Amino acid sequence: MRLLLIEDEVPLLEQLAGQLERKGYAVERAANGTDGLYLGQELPVDLAIVDLGLPDISGMDVIRTLRKGDHAFPILILTARGRWQEKVEGLEAGADDYLVKPFQFEELLARLNALLRRSGGWSTPVLRFHGVSLNTASQQLVVEGNTVALTAYEYRVLEYLMLHAGEVISKTVLTEHIYEQDYDRDSNVLEVLLSRLRRKLDPENRIKPIETLRGRGYRFCLKKAGG
Amino acid sequence: MSSIHLRLLLVATLVLAGFIGVTGWALENAFREASKTALQEKLQSHVYALLAAADVDAEGKMRLPEHLPEPRFSRPDSGLYAFVTTPDGNLFWRSRSALGLEIADAPSVAPGQTRFQRSNAMFLFSHGVEWEDDSGANQAFTFNVAEQVQSFDRQLGRFRLSLWSWLAALAAALLLVQALVLRWGLRPLRQVEMDLKAIQDGQAQRLQNVYPRELQGLTSSLNALMEHAKAVQERYRNRLDDLVHSLKTPLAYLAALLQDPDTSDDQLRAKTMEQLQRMDHIVQHQLRRAAVAARTTLVNPVAVTAVTERLLTALEKIYAHRELAVIRSLNAAAVFHGDEADLMEVLGNLLENAFKYAKTEVRVSVDIEEGLLIIIEDDGAGISPEQWETVLQRGRRADETVSGQGIGLAVVKEIITLYGGVLEAMKAESGGLRLRLHFPHEDPMRIPNT
Repeated sequence: MRLLLIEDEVPLLEQLAGQLERKGYAVERAANGTDGLYLGQELPVDLAIVDLGLPDISGMDVIRTLRKGDHAFPILILTARGRWQEKVEGLEAGADDYLVKPFQFEELLARLNALLRRSGGWSTPVLRFHGVSLNTASQQLVVEGNTVALTAYEYRVLEYLMLHAGEVISKTVLTEHIYEQDYDRDSNVLEVLLSRLRRKLDPENRIKPIETLRGRGYRFCLKKAGG
Repeated sequence: MSSIHLRLLLVATLVLAGFIGVTGWALENAFREASKTALQEKLQSHVYALLAAADVDAEGKMRLPEHLPEPRFSRPDSGLYAFVTTPDGNLFWRSRSALGLEIADAPSVAPGQTRFQRSNAMFLFSHGVEWEDDSGANQAFTFNVAEQVQSFDRQLGRFRLSLWSWLAALAAALLLVQALVLRWGLRPLRQVEMDLKAIQDGQAQRLQNVYPRELQGLTSSLNALMEHAKAVQERYRNRLDDLVHSLKTPLAYLAALLQDPDTSDDQLRAKTMEQLQRMDHIVQHQLRRAAVAARTTLVNPVAVTAVTERLLTALEKIYAHRELAVIRSLNAAAVFHGDEADLMEVLGNLLENAFKYAKTEVRVSVDIEEGLLIIIEDDGAGISPEQWETVLQRGRRADETVSGQGIGLAVVKEIITLYGGVLEAMKAESGGLRLRLHFPHEDPMRIPNT
């Protein structure tokens, strides 16, 4: 999942971005509204975290401009004041949730996950498919009742494919949403990742959870099991 | 034209000048006409006297005597002249006073007609008569009496001088009165200005004088505003005090912890986190309490339904995954006399709580009932009415597992108290919590107390 983090306080920006990256997100950083708006408009972002008190363009205006430009990804606002008037204005501008500073990192993570799941059509933190389930809160994969360990990048790819289950995801799109901007796109790391994932999801090669559509991309083709 | 005094004085002066000018002009005209009429009548009576003095000579022709009863006719160059002309323009007779008088174009008036005119520095009254002599022949004559204009003009001049000097004196007197009235009338405004200056200089706390009725709205609003500002300042000061004091405890504790060589790293990390949270809690709490406007003076009533709708829309967005049914019963006429942000803070926190704890539905009702009545109900088993009281009292989270803001609820209680409202918690029929929030009718000029 590729996140856009707009926060003018650089130490907090770096701290949060680092923590989010360790949790498996690709994070684009912006220390002001202008850069944030540009990145939000130009990059395939899955979710944006916007601080309302930005020095140049207000966070509120960044959100309004993004929404006017048909960017539908979920937006989480960070606010220091926490008055309802500001929250309501932010939500009316187009944000989907808010978090009052200071906050616990776990709280931020929970909100992020909830928003990402909601935009993928899930209302619980556990993405359940027939035989396979992924807990987005604990980042645990369970296959046929057994817990399977995933590396950070494996988790990123699987989560993205599962949230877009049934859709054909091209290699480019997948790369864009998994890696930061400066990733070398010619390597075949993604193919290696996918074959490792296939082995973990389907050790006996029976259910074939991830299809490869030649020249078009990949598709997670298991059926949802409720939730 | 920034001075009311100057404006009023200017307008009054213009009106006065116009009024006096027109009056003077009219009076002068009336006097001139009246004088002219009087002169005409006088000259006419002289003509009649002349006619009466006319006699018949031996040949039966008309003859006028040498001396007339009016002495001015006999004195040369007396200013009053009489002469009789024939229709062919010849002078038939003249009084002694008119001996040296140049009579050009001797007027000729048809018998029975009269004419009054001003010509060549004279007022001339002419009267045409037909004289039948003894032989029965008719002869037409024009009897003329003339008076020099000098005396008339002099009289008019005297009148004019006297008229205009009186009018000027009157105008000056009226302007003086006007200025005095204005000074007296505007004195309360100057008083307010001086009183405000005294407040600025710190010599007074409020506008204390007795002001005229027209200014009482202004002065009482100013007083209310100043008292509100003072109350807010006071509240800020108190909050700052509270803040400083309440931060000292966790700071002291942290200092002690750091200086204790027996504190393990894990312990230090855990305790620091705990104290940081506590400090954050304190800061948030005090800041939000300080931000409450509690403004009831000089505010437009807030439409409660609009605010409620905005909040519900926002909350439905945040809690979309809960798929709750929100049942609204909103009276659009309900208003809140106070600050919109304060109302939003109260309703936002209470509604969010309901959304957080509800299982399937949230009921919101806004109505008018001896003031403003808001009822918020959820069907969850979040907190019991008894626990609710505790939460409000202490501003603490009743259930740490639900991400909530106990701070928010403490602020809610504070705002409600400031506005003289009452919040009651009870068990709803659905088993959840029912909150009844009532703001009674009140005097809109009430000054909130801390």
